[in-house]
Formats: sequence, C-alpha cells, structure tokens
Amino acid sequence: MISAQDLHKSFGAKTVLRGVSLTVAPGESLVVIGGSGTGKSVLLKCLLGLEPPDRGQVDIAGLKQPRPHELAAHVGMLFQGAALFDSLPVWQNVAFRLLRGRHRMPRGAARELAVEKLARVGLGPEVADLFPAELSGGMQKRVGLARAIVGNPPILFFDEPTAGLDPVMAGRINRLIRSVVSEAGATAMTITHDMRTLSDVADKVAMLRDGRIHWQGSRDEALTSRDPILHEFVTGGAETGET
Amino acid sequence: MMARTTALARATALAGATGRGTAGFLGFLGRFAGFAGQVCLSIRPPFQWRELGTQLVVIGWMSLPVVALTALFTGAALALQIHAGSARFNAEFAVPSITAIGMVRELGPVLGGLMVAARVASSIAAEIGTMKVSEQIDALRMQALDPVQFLAVPRVLAALLAMPVLVAAGNALGIMGGYGVGVARLGFDGPTYLRNTLEYLEFWDVASGLIKGAVFGALVALAGTFHGLRARGGAQGVGAATKSAVVMASVMILAANYLLTELFFSA
Ligand SMILES: Nc1ncnc2c1ncn2[C@@H]1O[C@H](COP(=O)(O)OP(=O)(O)OP(=O)(O)O)[C@@H](O)[C@H]1O
Ligand SMILES: [Mg+2]
Repeated sequence: MISAQDLHKSFGAKTVLRGVSLTVAPGESLVVIGGSGTGKSVLLKCLLGLEPPDRGQVDIAGLKQPRPHELAAHVGMLFQGAALFDSLPVWQNVAFRLLRGRHRMPRGAARELAVEKLARVGLGPEVADLFPAELSGGMQKRVGLARAIVGNPPILFFDEPTAGLDPVMAGRINRLIRSVVSEAGATAMTITHDMRTLSDVADKVAMLRDGRIHWQGSRDEALTSRDPILHEFVTGGAETGET
Repeated sequence: MMARTTALARATALAGATGRGTAGFLGFLGRFAGFAGQVCLSIRPPFQWRELGTQLVVIGWMSLPVVALTALFTGAALALQIHAGSARFNAEFAVPSITAIGMVRELGPVLGGLMVAARVASSIAAEIGTMKVSEQIDALRMQALDPVQFLAVPRVLAALLAMPVLVAAGNALGIMGGYGVGVARLGFDGPTYLRNTLEYLEFWDVASGLIKGAVFGALVALAGTFHGLRARGGAQGVGAATKSAVVMASVMILAANYLLTELFFSA
C-alpha cells in the first residue's frame, strides 16, 4: 500500500505541495496527472523520502515516514530523467540491486536476468555492454524502467515512463506496466502526461493542481468526467474550443 | 545630518551583512564538520574495496607527475633562495639541510596538497555534483546505498592514504632539485651535499610532513565530496560546486598547515 496524508513541501518561498493526501490500495495502479511544474515529481520524492516533506505522513508497505534505504527492498523507481549510473554499463545498471547486498547473485546469472528485463522493454542484448551516454534519451528511459522492475519489487513508481518514446514503443511500455501490475500483483503509481498511459495503465486517477489533489476517481470516471479542468486535461482542450 | 544618517545606516547595514556573513560562514563550517563526522562514522562494512582501489589510482597515482614536478622546481628554487640568504651570514654550508627541512616540513606537503586540491577536489566535486543534479544520487539511495559510504568514504580514504606517499615522493624530488642546483650552480660537491642533507634531517621533520600530507589529502577529498553532494540546479550548479570545493580545500590546507605546525613545532 502507498498512502500519504496532508503532505506539505516548500522550497524556500516556493510552496509546491499544500496538503496532498492519497492512497493506493495493494495491487492497484494509480495514475497521477497534472500540469508541468505542479509538483508531481516532488510528490514522488516526498513519498520515497528523497525529499523530506515539511509536514504530513507517509506510509509505504507498512513503513511510516520511510527512508529511501528502508524502501529499497520493496520499491522500484523510474526517475523522470532515467538517472542511470553513467560509470556503469547498461546491464550493470539494470542488475545493480542483484549484484549487491547479502543475497547477491553470481555475475553471470545477474547479467542474464538483466538481458531478459532489457528484452521486456524492447532493447536487444547488444545494448547490454554500452554505457548510458551511448544511448538515446528514450533508450535510457527504458533501461531505467528495466532497472525499476528487476527483482520484481511489489511497489513501483514510474515518473513519465513513456516520455520521449515513439507511439509504438509507448504502447509497448504501457502494456508492460499493465502486466507487471495485473500479473505480478504489484502496486504502482505512475506519473504521466500521456493519455494513452492513463487509459492503458490506470485503475485510479488523481489530478494534482495548485499543490493539492484536485480530483480523484476511477479511470472510467476520469475519462468521462465533466469536471472542466480534468476534462480539458484529458481531451487536450480539444472540445473546449480554447486555443 | 542627512549624510551622517545615511553613513550610519550604511555602516549598520554593513555590520549587519558582515554579521550575517560570519554567522553564515560559521554555520557552513558546522555543516562541513558534521559531514566530516558522518564520513568517519560511515567507515564500516560493507567496504567498497574496488572503488577504493580505483580512487587510489585516480587520486594517488595520477597525481604523481604534477606533485613530482612541483616539488622538483620548488626544491631547486628553494636552494637558490637559501643560498642567497645564508651567504649574508657566511653560512652557505647550511643550504642542503635547510633546503631539505623546508621541503619536507613545509613546501612538500603544502604545495603537494594545493596541487592535489586543484586536481582532485575539482574532479571529485564535478563527478559527484553531476551525479547529484542528474538524480543518480537519489537512484543510489533507492538502491539502499548510502552516498556517503559508497562515494565519500573511498575517496577520503584513498586521498588520506595516497597523499603521504605523494608527499614522500615530492620530498625526494624536491631534495633532488636542490641537489641539482647545489652541484650545478652553487659549487657544492655532490657527496657533501647529500651527506649534509641526511645528517641534519631528523625523523620528526619527515614524519610531520607526511602527517600533514595525510590531513591535507583527507581535507581535499572531504571538500570535493561535500560540495559535490550539495550541488543543485544543473551544469551551473556543478560549476559552482567545483569552484567552491577547490577554494575551500586550498584555504583549509593553508589553515590546517598553520595549526599543525603550531601543534608539532611550537615550544
Ligand atoms: N530541489 C528543488 N529546489 C527548488 N525547487 C524545486 C526543487 N525541485 C522542484 N522544485 C520546484 O517544484 C516545482 C514542481 O516541480 P516538479 O519537478 O515536481 O514538477 P512536475 O509536476 O514533475 O513537472 P513535470 O511534469 O514537468 O515533470 C517546480 O516549480 C520546481 O521548480
Ligand atoms: Mg516531473
């Protein structure tokens, strides 16, 4: 389970979150939408303990106010900028968590698993030995996704998983996220601007606006909602006639 | 009257700014000390042996040429200067020993430290700062790796271990520089020069310089990692972190050098 109660976060004079509360039930997929710069990535970082919230409670997998290292075993995270370790080749990025810690795997097995995860995000074995700087932005994003899902963590966070991908690849990534949630039973929170991700991946939808949850409900409600702001967001303003 | 009030207001504002500056500086030193303490507490298993080895090569081995050249030329110049000075007292015989003492106690560690500060504090701050602004540090933390333990500790240990060796090599080269000038330009006889050097050089002269080197090495790596981990806001932030790391490392080396000299040699 992922839950946040009344999260507040400011950077200096700039207030980003003004009391965000949300819950994602186990096995459920929440998609968070909202305008650029409304604090979606900051919300994610507050949930993960990467940025300390100024106020409010977080509970992830039963851990209250979790620190990042406590979450590592439970959580896979795709960063908006992929955040690959640029000193390591692709396969070691993907297999990072398998190569360390008490239950570390032999390198050969870890590499095999990494190549398998790369295949799931549409990358062939030939990229395994490249370095992140040798990849395109969309390829980096997919390596980041492979790194997030390796080891099958029960809770997943994706920050704009399809940004920078072509429509075919984006569809494939959406199906991957869907299958990770429905087959493996993972709990997922996905930030996106991509309405196809919303319709393919979401069970529930939350919209962030002015530092608060402006709207939340099921996917079907979101797609048919008459809430003007949500409606404009979902349809891209097409039906409101605004330019 | 007007002029006096504005002058007074300015003076007050200046005092206020200075006060705030001082408070800010003290707070900053406090944070640095806290960071240094955190690094010390993080020296515990699991040790990053591979990273330590890499950093020993990057920080130690690859700094050797620049430290050696610095020491060589400094030793040569030092011998000339000491000769010029000692000639005023007809004490030219002291050139070899004073050159050596000046080199191993002061100039070897200080100049070696400053060169390593320029080379290593900057590259550590740029590398870690880039990792910070591209969220790689966050990604490390999400993999249960503590950036202090994983990145700072191996760099600080490597610098701490490598610097005494660099200083020792620099000392040898510095003395060689003095020897070269002594024999080629000042009319010393080679064996006499070396005998004078070794005869008057005491264990503590050398040891104190090596200890200084270790301290300076740790300060350099601490400054680099401290500023790297605090970098914010893209390429500009990395640039600022790099600059701050070099400035801070250099100033701390000079300050620490004075304090250690007081500690070791004041009566
Ligand atoms: N470390 C930080 N320091 C200062 N301000 C920050 C910091 N991180 C984020 N912000 C500010 O917080 C606000 C929200 O940023 P955030 O990255 O969460 O936006 P977002 O909703 O993810 O946008 P996008 O959809 O474009 O990714 C922005 O105005 C940003 O300037
Ligand atoms: Mg974002």
